[in-house]
Amino acid sequence: MIKQTDTSKSPRYDELITDARVHSSLYTDEKVFEDELNRIFRMGWVFICHDSEIPTAGDFVRRNVGREPVFAIRSRDDEISVIVNRCAHRGNIICQEDKGNRKALVCQYHGWAYDTKGALVDVPYPGGFKGDFSCHGLERLPLVDSYQGFVFASFNENAPPLLDHLGRATELIDRAVEMSPVGRIRLSGGWVQHQLNCNWKMLPENDTDGYHVNFVHPSFAQAIRSNYDEAVLDDEESLKSLAKDWGNGHTELFFSPSYTRPLEWFGCAEDRHPAYTKAMLDAYGEQKGGRILRDGPPHAVIFPNLFLGEMNIVRFEPVAPGVCLHVHTPMYLEGVEDDVNRRILRQSEGALGPTAFLLADDCVIAERAQSALQGKGGWLDLSRGAEREVVEDDGVISSHLTDETPNRGFWRHYRRIMQPGSPTSDVGAVA
Amino acid sequence: MISVEDRLEIEAFLFKEARLADESRYSEWEALVDDDMHYWVPLRESQDPDSDQVSLLNDNRTRLATRIRQLNTGVRHAQLPPSRMRRSIANIEIEELGADEYAVGANVVLYEFRRQATKELEVWPARVEYKLRRKDGELKMFRKHIFLLNSEGSVRGLSFII
Repeated sequence: MIKQTDTSKSPRYDELITDARVHSSLYTDEKVFEDELNRIFRMGWVFICHDSEIPTAGDFVRRNVGREPVFAIRSRDDEISVIVNRCAHRGNIICQEDKGNRKALVCQYHGWAYDTKGALVDVPYPGGFKGDFSCHGLERLPLVDSYQGFVFASFNENAPPLLDHLGRATELIDRAVEMSPVGRIRLSGGWVQHQLNCNWKMLPENDTDGYHVNFVHPSFAQAIRSNYDEAVLDDEESLKSLAKDWGNGHTELFFSPSYTRPLEWFGCAEDRHPAYTKAMLDAYGEQKGGRILRDGPPHAVIFPNLFLGEMNIVRFEPVAPGVCLHVHTPMYLEGVEDDVNRRILRQSEGALGPTAFLLADDCVIAERAQSALQGKGGWLDLSRGAEREVVEDDGVISSHLTDETPNRGFWRHYRRIMQPGSPTSDVGAVA
Repeated sequence: MISVEDRLEIEAFLFKEARLADESRYSEWEALVDDDMHYWVPLRESQDPDSDQVSLLNDNRTRLATRIRQLNTGVRHAQLPPSRMRRSIANIEIEELGADEYAVGANVVLYEFRRQATKELEVWPARVEYKLRRKDGELKMFRKHIFLLNSEGSVRGLSFII
């Protein structure tokens, strides 16, 4: 394990990252990893859960923020708190189960009891307790905010508002929830934790890399006829999909220009789910509803740990410099008939997780990359397509699907966070 | 009580099924499977396969055929080269379900050498529940449910036939 008291000096991140290349030590160095846990996962906003996971008072889910064990819990006034999962007395785990419901939070070790916002309410054998109850609450993350039900939190009370962090990328989250005719998603399917022995940054990088698909997934392409044939597997001249940098490290593979008919993204005939089609057109009108049904869901990363993976929601978890988790659940839609959500579930199992037709291959390629980056390492090129990028009217940088525009956007934001006072600006950013 | 002959035949089938899976002989393994096969690795032991809960793998016969087709392309990186594997099957209990159909439960430990990437030895302990039927004089498998001990924890890539 990594020592908590690492006093070695941080590298100069502005020397390890340029717009054309990044150094391999960023994937392997323990000091870099410690800096990331502090500067990205403690000082910035991190996706925690969706509010549909904890619908009633007392519901909680366990999560990790970097290496910090936390849980998110809903109180009777509907406020969601994100609380460090550690008793204020002797440091024991408060919630051992991955999810559940608690009227109060009672430590199993000595029985200290807290309310659902973490305030200490009872200490057994009170005669020996001379402390002040108000000073012995559980540690709450000072910032918790949500957008469209996606709950984010930060250990840093001085972090800029969540909407500043999300910037234009709120549009990506809007596009995800607008796949539902009532604008609501539900994460009730359970989470699969897929462990990859590679650095966590390979997950956001690979999930919005449009260049690898023909090479990592030829077995998928040969075995399965899918919407990806047009969206990502065509030749360079024919591909209509785009790679995008939304600013603040948020990135996207935009497949919609490849789709010519409704529900093509869903891998079925356009008349396959008539009730869903009607509900969408009734809810959003012929024009917008028709466009959503043709364009499909976003395929986008919200920095640093949320992937809107079409009809899946994914969390990235750093574990160690060479170990991470890709944790996914199907993105169920509210207001649709069961067969739509059933198709979402089966597609989720097909695409993501340890056994999947797609991700199992990405996993092996990433683990090989991690092996190759050991030792003194070297430079990784990041320059593809820099000369043919276009800045759209809304400031989003757009380029050919196979260009490294998303990865440049990720690293530009990463450098800005990791190298305080760096003279480079985050070109794509709003804030 | 099933007969000793039936038990020997069923055990021989399970050992062959295990060996073909161990040796990544995908099409020969698929030939042991009947048309209504359900091949399933749930997240939880108490899970209902028809619920909205996600599974690690939940293949009907069509999807299983796709899985085998993908492995047979020769370009499935996750099994290129195939993992070296050996599994042991123990505590075999057999129940006769009716006319020539059997439910079998067993404890299985699979050892996997992941030579396609990290070159580590991975261990996969599981409870496995099979259903078999005698069809045209030979046994066919129509259910294989694999309850991994660590399915709710973090799970490494699992692209072979488990």
